[in-house]
Amino acid sequence: MSKYSSDLLWLSSLRFLLQHPWHFALSILGVALGVSVVVSIDISNSSAKTAFSLSTEAVTGKATHQIQGAAEDLDEEVYQTIRIDGKIRKSAPVVEGYARITGVNRTFQVLGVDPIAEAPFRNFASQEAGIELSEFMAGENTGLIAESVAQELEVSIGDTLAISVGGRSFSIRLIGLIDTQDDRSRQALESLLVLDVSTAQRLFDMQGKLSQIDLILPQNAEENIIPELKTMLPDGADIIRSDSRTETVEQMTRAFEFNLQALSMLALLVGMFLIYNTMTFSVVQRRPLIGRLRALGVTKNEILAIVLKEAVLIGLLGTVIGMISGIFLAQVLVKLVTQSINDLYFVLSVQELTIGFFPLAKGALLGIGATLIASFWPAREASQAEVSTVLRRSSNESKITKRILPLAIIGVSAGLAGLGILLIPNGGIAAGYSSLLFMIVGFSLIIPMLIVGMAKVLRPVLGKVNGLIGKMSVRGVVTELSRTSVAIAALVVAVAATVGVGVMVDSFRTTVVSWLESQLQADVYVQPPSSVSRNADSELVPMLVDILKETEGVAESHTVRSVDVRTNNGTDNLVAIDQGEAARNTYQLKEGDSGFWQDYTEENILMVSEVYAYRNEVGLGDSLFIVTDRGRQGFEIRAINFDYASDIGTITINREIYNQYFEDEAISGLALYAEDGVEVDELVERLRERSKGLQEVFIRSNKGLREASIEIFDRTFTVTVVLRMLAILVAFIGVLSALMALQLERSRELAVLRANGMTPGQLWNYVITQTGVMGVMAGILSVPLGILMAYILVYVINLRSFGWTLQFMISSEVLIQAVALAVVAALLAGIYPSWKMAKTNPADALRNE
Amino acid sequence: MKKLYWYILAITFIAGIVWFWPEQDQEIRASVSVAEAMGGDDDEGYLRATGPREFTFPDDHGPHPGFRTEWWYYTGNVFTEEGRQFGYQFTIFRNQMSPPDNTTNGQAFGEDWDTNQLYLGHFAISDVENEDHVFEERYSRGAAGLAGAQVEPYRIWLEDWEVLRVDAENADDKNFPVRVTAEMETGSKIELTITPAKPLVLQGEEGYDKKGAEEGNASYYLAFTRMDTEGLITKNGEEYQVSGSSWMDHEWSTSALDESQEGWDWFSLQLSNGYDLMYYQLRNGDGSVSDFTTGSFIDPEGNKTIINPEDVKLEVLNTWESPHSRSVYPSQWVMKIPKLDLELELATLFSDQEMDVSVRYFEGTLGVSGEMNGQQIGGNGFIEMTGYEQD
Repeated sequence: MSKYSSDLLWLSSLRFLLQHPWHFALSILGVALGVSVVVSIDISNSSAKTAFSLSTEAVTGKATHQIQGAAEDLDEEVYQTIRIDGKIRKSAPVVEGYARITGVNRTFQVLGVDPIAEAPFRNFASQEAGIELSEFMAGENTGLIAESVAQELEVSIGDTLAISVGGRSFSIRLIGLIDTQDDRSRQALESLLVLDVSTAQRLFDMQGKLSQIDLILPQNAEENIIPELKTMLPDGADIIRSDSRTETVEQMTRAFEFNLQALSMLALLVGMFLIYNTMTFSVVQRRPLIGRLRALGVTKNEILAIVLKEAVLIGLLGTVIGMISGIFLAQVLVKLVTQSINDLYFVLSVQELTIGFFPLAKGALLGIGATLIASFWPAREASQAEVSTVLRRSSNESKITKRILPLAIIGVSAGLAGLGILLIPNGGIAAGYSSLLFMIVGFSLIIPMLIVGMAKVLRPVLGKVNGLIGKMSVRGVVTELSRTSVAIAALVVAVAATVGVGVMVDSFRTTVVSWLESQLQADVYVQPPSSVSRNADSELVPMLVDILKETEGVAESHTVRSVDVRTNNGTDNLVAIDQGEAARNTYQLKEGDSGFWQDYTEENILMVSEVYAYRNEVGLGDSLFIVTDRGRQGFEIRAINFDYASDIGTITINREIYNQYFEDEAISGLALYAEDGVEVDELVERLRERSKGLQEVFIRSNKGLREASIEIFDRTFTVTVVLRMLAILVAFIGVLSALMALQLERSRELAVLRANGMTPGQLWNYVITQTGVMGVMAGILSVPLGILMAYILVYVINLRSFGWTLQFMISSEVLIQAVALAVVAALLAGIYPSWKMAKTNPADALRNE
Repeated sequence: MKKLYWYILAITFIAGIVWFWPEQDQEIRASVSVAEAMGGDDDEGYLRATGPREFTFPDDHGPHPGFRTEWWYYTGNVFTEEGRQFGYQFTIFRNQMSPPDNTTNGQAFGEDWDTNQLYLGHFAISDVENEDHVFEERYSRGAAGLAGAQVEPYRIWLEDWEVLRVDAENADDKNFPVRVTAEMETGSKIELTITPAKPLVLQGEEGYDKKGAEEGNASYYLAFTRMDTEGLITKNGEEYQVSGSSWMDHEWSTSALDESQEGWDWFSLQLSNGYDLMYYQLRNGDGSVSDFTTGSFIDPEGNKTIINPEDVKLEVLNTWESPHSRSVYPSQWVMKIPKLDLELELATLFSDQEMDVSVRYFEGTLGVSGEMNGQQIGGNGFIEMTGYEQD
């Protein structure tokens, strides 16, 4: 055929789409929502990543290596040794930490430097950038911030900033502003407070200590320079590559990011069902037209091409809208993602979105690709059909009836394949998700059979309740199975996704709540404010600890110390507890016997959390090597405990053993037990009173801490909840569009009913009952699929991502919500077609006949 | 129609690449804007050289915190056995960044990092044969053991650059040999043992050297004008055993130059007949020679004769324009001091000995020849010239 005629075909297809604007718009919306969720999650993740790598880059500068001490700090004399005796000219001392600046709602990274040594590393912190040395290092608390931050704070050079470090307040006189030369630098330096080494040492109470020494070593340093330098270092100090820190951090968040991405893909999957549904309808509706075209000599391939073209158009429009809305959505999501990262892993401040090429390209590919895949079968069906049968609708229905069983068999096989994937050893998270995909697809293939089955049960029931109309409604669902089953399947998948995620979050929460109950045995907890909620990175002022311990009404106390140490598994969180044997009441052991508590005060043994054991593939009896101030020391893992506070895992040892190996007196947290008969709330008040003026600390009752912990927990799941809401929205729109289209398409049938004497009221009843029935069916079917999904999320994906043991918890609330969602959406979908048909003169609707 | 899709896709793709591309591998660059250094030239609160004083040794070989500036200045000419000549300069400057009472805590030499003492080091080697001048500048805070000056044991250091007292039989509190060690990043290096060959000279008026009309524009100025030097010089990976003669100035002040003064030309000459001549002329902004120009002539036994500007006739015969700074420095002179019956022709041994460091100046080895009391003499020396910067 010539070009003109194919253009004619295209025009006719466009005309069709425009004549069904609702339909057209809803399918675009379906694609758009899916794409927008994927794009926004990707942009949020990549913005967080860019912000992280920029701030790392700003802080690490051009350092190739770093010298670190055993427990977070290093004797400053090492610097003299390295620079003077080791003659390493490109070396720079660094004291690092976090601070809050009054007036800005984010945590700043404090970089304490020697501007004279800085030039090769971080030009902005160097004397060459223009730092006035006499003001910077002469003993006064002075510092630099980025120009943009100064504008935000409305301060200028010479003004004083009020800052707080681990609950202690300081004022810093601003002696210079960092003028950033481009956006990238601005973004990188926006959360940085640059101080002199001496000032930072005072702020962090690190006199005589450095956080690390940065080095720039030549390429071949591994062979000659490093071994030589290592001989100059004290026990416990080591030279590591500066990018190993970035690697650690990337590993930390990998599972977190992956799960977010998977959830966004789930939204797209639901979107695909919508598209499939839409395209099927548009084909089914045009069956007579297609038949006529075929009869006129249009080839199969041309029909296929036209339908696919339509799909591309819908895909393109949906993708563009999805990308744009995705960017807007990302602005909200990035805040949530950042908040979670801050609560869970490390301090991160994302001031702006990084809209890279890849998230958009991926969104486009997924949007258009998913549309094409989803519309391939409807398109093929339209083009493959024989001319004569195409003109009759019933043929299609008789076809699906024949296919119910084969579809179910394929469905079951897909489900089994999904199960098979689960059984692959070391399958990883990706395998978990692909198994999930198989199960979803498998389940939706069984849906036609289930609908037929359910219809058999529902028909007599509705017959009793709603008489003939009730029966007719149910039968209608079955007789038009080719369309209703797709709509119901879309609805089922969408609702099941919300059930799955809901059950997972519930299970998680229940587990954490009950764990907190047993974990929090003391009456009052004292903690310094920490920049990462789940990681105690600041210390209590020693005098404060003594004062609080001696407060009237305090019977007993114990302390914890939390530090990052280097082990044979990388950088890990080590917690030292001075609780002695009584700790057995606090910690729940997953593996190991209670004899551990007798021995751990005297032997080199330790306990790791189950997450730690899972991540690092270690178990009871294994050795763990920790770099201590006395060199590398081996410890035996003798217990594994439950711990839901860290998804990276912790190592717990006794404080006495810790003190043998670390020169560290500091205390990160204090737990106090009230004397019998003392009101805990009163004690908290008394303790707060006594802590005044010493350090700003959190003094919380057992209950208060539990609530605060759960609040943080909930906050870290906000992203998940938001994604679930989005999935619900996609589901809702999907149902609406599917069922509405279904009913609109039946306008002729409804007109016949009207012409045969059905009143508008009865028509309402008929349509609403039918959509309601579909809603109920979908609601019911979504429950088992949802639970299956939750099961995989909790026992496979969570386990493979983090290694947590969770109690599976299905709340009726989530289930009721799911069924209600389906029914309400279905009912709403019935309103417009009923209203329209009730108003239309049946004669008009039948005119074409 | 089909083509259009591909166009759209291709354009999106290319636009994406263009968008994404330039983000890679950019350096995070920024400068710092600061308040105008407050009273950077304000001498308020610092100690001043206001008149002659008693020196006590070894203490006065050490640092004098409270004065703004202090330096230990070694220059010398050394030779290999084959007669190959090297000049060297090794200087450690102490700079006090704020008046002594202006620090909240930490005095000059505490263990802590905070300090108002900034140390600078300048180190240069003049390879006369190759007409190659290599130099390096270093900074460090005078704290945390990184740099400092101390008397017991005598050590002036900036990281691994140091002047360290070495033991010797005839050493006393005033005169003792030192070992000077310094290495540049390029590997050029000196390791010299330097022993005073003449007594310590108190320059100016018993060590008080007035440099301007204004009260306090003066320095305390001690010198060893001739010191036996022996050791190793390493340059371009080659190590040379050398010996020769060095000169050391130790000077401290808070402000030296008057506002009208622009720079100086400072000569240190060791004549072959055993005499040493120090002469500096301060130049006024209008090109004239300041009244506070002075010098001293040290006889072989160490006795000093003061030289006044009117005693000296100095004529520039030639100049050299620095390709680095476009500054035009004198490079050849005739110096006549009729009072001493001395006439010298002086010339830099090669032109480019400019110290292109944070404060640019010329510090170069000089060839000396001439007549004294009718006798032909030769010698070696150093010339330091400042204030030739083009505005």
